[in-house]
Amino acid sequence: MSKEVSYLNMNKQYSYVGKSLKRTDILDKVTGRGKYIDDLKFSNMLYGKLIRSTEAHARIINIDTSEAEKLPGVKAIITAKDVPSIKYGLSPARYDENIFCTDTVKFYGDKIGAICAVDEETVYKALKLIKVEYEVLPAVFTPAEAAKEDAPQIFEEFPGNVNTEIHLEFGDIEKAKQEAYYVRTDRLVGQRTLHGFIEPHCAIAYWEGKRVHIHSSHQSVHYLQHHIARIFDMKEGDVRVTLPYVGGGFGGKVDISGVDISAVALSKITGQPVKMFFDLEEVWLNGRGRHGMDMTYTTGVTKEGKILFVESETILDGGAYSGLGVATSYYAGSLLNVLYDFDNYRFDAYRYVTNLPPCGAQRGHGQPHPRYAFESHLDHIAEDLGMDPIDLRLVNARKANTVTPNGYEVKSYYLTEANELARDASGWKDKKGKLPVGRGIGVGNGGFVTGAGFCMYRTDLPHSIGMIKVYDDGTHAIVYSQAVDIGQGSDTVLTQMAAEAMGFPYEDITICTRDTDLATLDFGAYASRQTLMAGWAVKRAGEDIKKKILIQAAEMLKVKEDGGYRSGKLMPEELDCKEGLVFVKQEPGVNITFAEVARAYFVKHGVLVGRGYYHPGKLGGKHKGAAVGTSPAYSSATQIAEVEVDMETGVTKVVGTWDVHDSGCVVNPQLLHGQVHGAFSMGIGETIWEKVTFDEKGKLLNGNFAEYRMPTALDMPHVDSLVLDTFEPNGPWGVKEVGEGATTPTLGCVANAVYDAIGVRVAELPLTPEKIWRGLKEAREAKEKEGK
Amino acid sequence: MYLPDFEYFNPDSVEEACQLLLKYGSKAKAIAGGTDVLVKMKKELLAPEVIVGIGQLSQLKKIEYVPGKGVVIGSGVTHNEVQNSKVLQEKYLSVSEAAHQMANNQVRNLGTIGGNISNAVPSADMPPILIALDTTAKIVGAKGERTLPLEDVFAGPNETVLEHDELITEFVIPDGSFTGSTYMKFGLRASGALAVVGVAASVQMEDGVIKDARIVLGAVSPVPVRAKKAEDFLKGKPAGEEIFAEAGVIASGECKPISDIRASAEYRKDMVRVFTKRALNKAANEGHV
Ligand SMILES: Cc1cc2nc3c(=O)[nH]c(=O)nc-3n(C[C@H](O)[C@H](O)[C@H](O)COP(=O)(O)OP(=O)(O)OC[C@H]3O[C@@H](n4cnc5c(N)ncnc54)[C@H](O)[C@@H]3O)c2cc1C
Repeated sequence: MSKEVSYLNMNKQYSYVGKSLKRTDILDKVTGRGKYIDDLKFSNMLYGKLIRSTEAHARIINIDTSEAEKLPGVKAIITAKDVPSIKYGLSPARYDENIFCTDTVKFYGDKIGAICAVDEETVYKALKLIKVEYEVLPAVFTPAEAAKEDAPQIFEEFPGNVNTEIHLEFGDIEKAKQEAYYVRTDRLVGQRTLHGFIEPHCAIAYWEGKRVHIHSSHQSVHYLQHHIARIFDMKEGDVRVTLPYVGGGFGGKVDISGVDISAVALSKITGQPVKMFFDLEEVWLNGRGRHGMDMTYTTGVTKEGKILFVESETILDGGAYSGLGVATSYYAGSLLNVLYDFDNYRFDAYRYVTNLPPCGAQRGHGQPHPRYAFESHLDHIAEDLGMDPIDLRLVNARKANTVTPNGYEVKSYYLTEANELARDASGWKDKKGKLPVGRGIGVGNGGFVTGAGFCMYRTDLPHSIGMIKVYDDGTHAIVYSQAVDIGQGSDTVLTQMAAEAMGFPYEDITICTRDTDLATLDFGAYASRQTLMAGWAVKRAGEDIKKKILIQAAEMLKVKEDGGYRSGKLMPEELDCKEGLVFVKQEPGVNITFAEVARAYFVKHGVLVGRGYYHPGKLGGKHKGAAVGTSPAYSSATQIAEVEVDMETGVTKVVGTWDVHDSGCVVNPQLLHGQVHGAFSMGIGETIWEKVTFDEKGKLLNGNFAEYRMPTALDMPHVDSLVLDTFEPNGPWGVKEVGEGATTPTLGCVANAVYDAIGVRVAELPLTPEKIWRGLKEAREAKEKEGK
Repeated sequence: MYLPDFEYFNPDSVEEACQLLLKYGSKAKAIAGGTDVLVKMKKELLAPEVIVGIGQLSQLKKIEYVPGKGVVIGSGVTHNEVQNSKVLQEKYLSVSEAAHQMANNQVRNLGTIGGNISNAVPSADMPPILIALDTTAKIVGAKGERTLPLEDVFAGPNETVLEHDELITEFVIPDGSFTGSTYMKFGLRASGALAVVGVAASVQMEDGVIKDARIVLGAVSPVPVRAKKAEDFLKGKPAGEEIFAEAGVIASGECKPISDIRASAEYRKDMVRVFTKRALNKAANEGHV
């Protein structure tokens, strides 16, 4: 069920933008014709796997590969000594990962080396013959253990195992404390989760002279190209990255996973194409999912519920390496001010390294846990003040055209309207406080950046470049962009945008993406950036084409004037082009096809190309970390969930969900609703079931979809996805993001609904049946004690 | 994550299969749907040199009602076949429903009832309901055949009393006096989750009085167990929520579950209480469901 409520974006007369057009990839995907990385085959291709640590923290004494080398079919085995000794990562401030462990392994599954052979079977056999001798070191598996004074040090460069430490303060907290009518502190814990995409990481590399060509399953061709060039000391122009269809990412394919580097290294040594692939469990070992976070919030409010100040401390379980974790740590605090308008804010964070797989970015990067914690905290404050939780949010919701204390300029922002519509659509007023025991309703707010204001590494490159080429005869066009469609539908949306900007039929456009040689620069699929950023570049390229077409057409069209005809005297401004037809605005009957005009252009000038450029400009404040969270546009969303909890077993069933999104202009409503459905599935899973689990020695216990339980179709409630069709001045056609922001309110709204149903706050995710059962039991026992 | 090499036999009859199993002894493994064996082989928990396929044997594929005997279910019947069987849906919907609650559609399409029993995993879903209905298993070996109460087939986790050359050929749910039965699986999500606790109950009701009852618990001990104290407690008592609740408490006291990644022992014990109560209520009031 989905509806659009259009009252903020009035002028909608588009041919393609705003319509649920058929996805460009749909036939490929439903027929199985589309190729994913595992479908690619090259002659003489070798198969390889990483050699992984079987200790959580240990010194490598010796690696004996001699038996494996003797196995017929084994082509090469490499360890740290065979590869560049450079360190890499995603935050230039913390490049701390070796290609292969040099001295110590830092988690169970850490990369020790790589091996390749003529077929998969031989690789598996050879892996078993490799003997690694370790001196086992004491390990730490939680931030609390890592913080102990006598804790083993995992990295020399992170004393006390503190990888990132943040202390930010805005406004005057002490003064606000004096003025507060009511102050409350809550502590909530969010768990480690993983993305749950179905296609494991894989890369195939081969050399063509001095150039290397990498096929991979990744979220950014540009970053992969950049890092491979940096690691192997090559020119970026000598590294070509191509991605076939990508089977999901959610943030887990932004990092360099090791399949890429080792495929490049092994194909160099063997002179043959090498395919490196993960088994499903290795996706968990590679990690880079959501950090475990321990969050404490103290908030002071007025009698009316206006937030005067927030003090917060967040402790993050980072796992072994930094990856994107520095940004995660900042994100954990930086966007609270976007959602709610208050001046006095302190954010302290400590990201610890532990001997577990590294954490990184997962849909909503750094946001869902803090949103869960703060939205839970808000519900307690509302309860204490005797206020309706939605009213409390309405008092504090940020308004459009404001600036946050941490320096973000917020243009369009309709969180108030989102709350109101969600409230009305869900029947909140008839339900809140009126449902029987075991049934509850809860609200959560969220939102996200629409693209990061800065590149992950320091550069002055534009964030996106678009190019469109029209065929010689004018009948077809190709859109070029390195934007990466990982399933979210960016190819479709960018094609719609190109069609709209050019005035050319959607079905006559092909999009060429995910290739550093063929397509033009875009940073890729992360930070919910592509619809806005690649969208601007493609829109401008399309407009460039249209401009050229109208100039050419002005020379070709004739208009009747005073009984006679004038020719060649039309001004381009008098013309427009839509859906493949160029016409005189005043007299649409006078027209000519786009194709005829384009062909004439080709005859006269050669190839018809449009070019587009996008850079967000300089954004943000001056404090340390100010860059994280800057964005040209911020989405907002309200979600409401209704749940039924079995008071005996603790089983939660989500029975209804509502989402109202302030996503700017919606280019393709069907795709937006898809994102919202997916976000609920992901968020509900993280609230109730999912947790990456290890044994007491740091060995992964649930690296599969049987024991890492994500919701199935049968667990999913009805989703009511509603859209506020708003307009964002910083976005092409007024667009904003939906992909990541949609997950950010879910954990909070489901957790609040559970609290509403059972009257007990289980303050640690996931809210498994057993935890709810225990929470109810403890509450009952406490009451009995009181009674006595 | 790679299947080791093995030799594969495709016998034409149960007798031939048994002979092959006898010949190759501990090197051989029978395979029906393969949904347990192949997974274990990929995880390198099992490396048989010889695999004897029995999934194709039509002898093992029937579900029929034999008057005077009961419902006969061939061991090679898949879970989806159990689920969709007209005979079972009419006589023991509870058995069909138990099959329906298992795994996911793909696994139900391949996995067999014989494999589920013979694999003898404590959390398996078919044993409790079948034991609750006094099911017997016909066992055929190279040297002859025998019939055992299903309850006596299990010897421990992943262990049965079957000799190496023996196969289960069929299960018989005897014509009995049970008026109602049900299996309640408690897994941690709606589909594709193993039982944290499974409780089957069957009752013989007469004028509102419980003449006889079976309560069988899965996933709380090395083998499926009957809560015999709770069964005895129920006999002769009038059916009612309080009685069933009390039986739940007794059953909970009888079981000795373990703690693992899915649940603690304490929680499992309490879930035995809850689901025993619910299962008895259902079986007493709704028949075979
Ligand atoms: C994803 C997944 C989910 C699952 N979920 C569940 C679940 O929810 N509940 C549940 O109970 N199980 C579950 N299982 C386990 C499994 O699917 C079932 O136990 C299934 O019934 C096994 O049947 P099979 O025919 O595939 O057995 P096979 O793998 O062929 O054999 C299993 C064992 O039984 C032996 N065997 C097979 N047939 C006979 C026979 N006739 N006589 C003697 N020995 C025999 C084999 O030698 C082997 O030791 C799941 C499995 C998977 C992979």
